[in-house]
Amino acid sequence: MNRMFLSMALGLGLGAAYSLPAYSQAKPETLVKQRQAAMTLQGKYFGPMNAMAQGKIPYDAGVVTRNAGYLDALSRMPWDGFAPSTKGEKSAALPAVFTDAGKFKEAQDRFQAEVTKLASVAKGGDEASVKAQISTVNKQCAACHEDFREKR
Amino acid sequence: MLPNDRQPRHGGVVVFGLVVWMLAATASAQGDAQRGSYIAKAAGCVGCHTEAKEGAPAYAGGRALKTPFGTFYGPNITPDPQAGIGRWTEADFVRAMRHGERRDGSNYFPAFPYPSFTGMTDQDLRDLWAYLRSLPANSRANQPHDLGFPYGWRILVTPWKWMFFTPGPLAADPQLAPAVARGRYLVQALAHCGECHTPRNFLGGLRKDRFLAGGKGPDRKSVPNLTPTRLKKWSDGELKDFLTTGMYSDGDIPAEAMAEVIRNTTSQLTPQDLDAVIAYVRSLPPLPEEPKEK
Repeated sequence: MNRMFLSMALGLGLGAAYSLPAYSQAKPETLVKQRQAAMTLQGKYFGPMNAMAQGKIPYDAGVVTRNAGYLDALSRMPWDGFAPSTKGEKSAALPAVFTDAGKFKEAQDRFQAEVTKLASVAKGGDEASVKAQISTVNKQCAACHEDFREKR
Repeated sequence: MLPNDRQPRHGGVVVFGLVVWMLAATASAQGDAQRGSYIAKAAGCVGCHTEAKEGAPAYAGGRALKTPFGTFYGPNITPDPQAGIGRWTEADFVRAMRHGERRDGSNYFPAFPYPSFTGMTDQDLRDLWAYLRSLPANSRANQPHDLGFPYGWRILVTPWKWMFFTPGPLAADPQLAPAVARGRYLVQALAHCGECHTPRNFLGGLRKDRFLAGGKGPDRKSVPNLTPTRLKKWSDGELKDFLTTGMYSDGDIPAEAMAEVIRNTTSQLTPQDLDAVIAYVRSLPPLPEEPKEK
């Protein structure tokens, strides 16, 4: 019995020891897939807010609060997926992502700050200021896509 | 281009008709600023002629356009007599737009898309001029272009024009359905879509055989193919939504270069004109994607 526990513990320990480095070194194609998933979902939750800001669909404060919260979380997720190991992968990322990493990081930070602001404005701000913040976020998306993403 | 067809056909109303005709003739001779403001939107003038910063005065110049030949700065086109075009006549304006010539007779660099604007009708030019005259004057001084040697020599644009520039209004094509013809005018002359969406040769001339087929834009960034090869995957509704909201159907956002064109131009078009633009791009010959250069 003791031997069994010992081997189980050893097995678990070894498993953890081996799986951790394996986990932290996700394959480049996996990182690309995951960062694209995070981007796709940002579109899903930003799209309706953008349509509301432009008056294309009726304004719904509940949906905006929820989506802005989702976006705040999602907007933090793609960036560690742009690891140097993914440089050679097929994706819409332009070489500038890797050759101008400092500028890319600044663009992420600007975007992140505006999304976080949107999440807080959405919690109790009036419709006009929420809409204004949505279009500010929109401009940050566009600005970063301009320099760092292949036109789709 | 006087509207002769407005002359009365029946003798009984000759005097009345003549008065109407004269009024119409006067109006068209002066240009209609109201109509011109729509022309300015369709032509997207404000983009290159306004600095890219928050609160910059519209049409007072300052936008940087980076190209392989250097950086161009859009000039002030408000009626300020020193900084802008306040001393210009309508003829000066038409000459600039139609022939790419400055008041001193030297060439404009084709960063100013006169190879497209040359196709505009006399009436649209006149109305646009009337609108520009109605803008508030702004004294923002122009910035000289920053061009690599020898591209700063305006004289070199003369042989360029021989090769790549055909002046004159867009010739009517009676084969085309009215909507397609209107779309062709909007896309080719006013909105000058081809200036970015048509690839250029090493001298900066548009490759006509690749019209709107995408590739590299004037700033060497990639631009999409607008022929049916790519757009057949888009429904009319998706295209319209994209061109009015600046958003793809999945919530994605285009790059700022197009986002700005959507804000300034395509979202401002009348529904009929937007339909016409779509009808026209649908009628283009499908061209394959430019091979990737890597």
